[in-house]
Amino acid sequence: MENSRVSKHTNAFGLSLVLCSILNALLVIAKEKSKAVSAAMQRITGHHWLTHVAIIFILFAVGGWLLARTNGGQGPSLGAQRINSTILTGVVASVLIILGFYLIAG
Amino acid sequence: MLFGVACVISTVWLFVDVLNANEGNLARIRWMSRAAAVFMWLAFVAGGYWYVADYGADKAIILKGPWPFAHDYFMETKEHFVITLLLVATYLPIAASNNLVVNPGARRLVLSVAGLVAVLALLAEGHGAIIAMGVKVAMLARPH
Repeated sequence: MENSRVSKHTNAFGLSLVLCSILNALLVIAKEKSKAVSAAMQRITGHHWLTHVAIIFILFAVGGWLLARTNGGQGPSLGAQRINSTILTGVVASVLIILGFYLIAG
Repeated sequence: MLFGVACVISTVWLFVDVLNANEGNLARIRWMSRAAAVFMWLAFVAGGYWYVADYGADKAIILKGPWPFAHDYFMETKEHFVITLLLVATYLPIAASNNLVVNPGARRLVLSVAGLVAVLALLAEGHGAIIAMGVKVAMLARPH
């Protein structure tokens, strides 16, 4: 049987990557649909995009760190194939949401 | 743009090395994964600074020209999907830290992540070209 185990950080930060990619796309929609959200993000750092980047990267780092401590310190129990397909699906979906949203709503 | 191209080149190099992963190139694979992430961060910081500090003037020119979609679609999408691109590039060295010589599943994971980085980086470069053309055609369309 082939070795398909990957490190706990590979699984944890892989899942965090997927969650933050989707959140990135949803935050785009929230900003564009709500002036209040956009204005609040503008106020925090002086530019909505800087706030957007900061939120996503803080959540990516914290999410990966926390997920690595789940399951008794072993991290999420996913094999390489599962984390691979989850990342591919999540990242492609998030990019398509962004590209599609501006195509339709723009 | 220079750092973005360097990221694409290191990612493609990494991709080919991973296809032929062995004890002899494992250290180079890990260094190339770090290089790709560093180049992407440099591109992001340089591009982000330009976007926040200087893009406003270009945006005004584009919106008055014949290609307003260069901003309305291409810049609006680019400024957001590059955040996902940076996340994926940051993850690349983490995925490459596994033993790729004995673990075919981890090898496929790194190939997928490197593929995503290369495709998204090329997409960003293409968007950048259209945005630059948006400025150019607007300047050419100005009355002399």
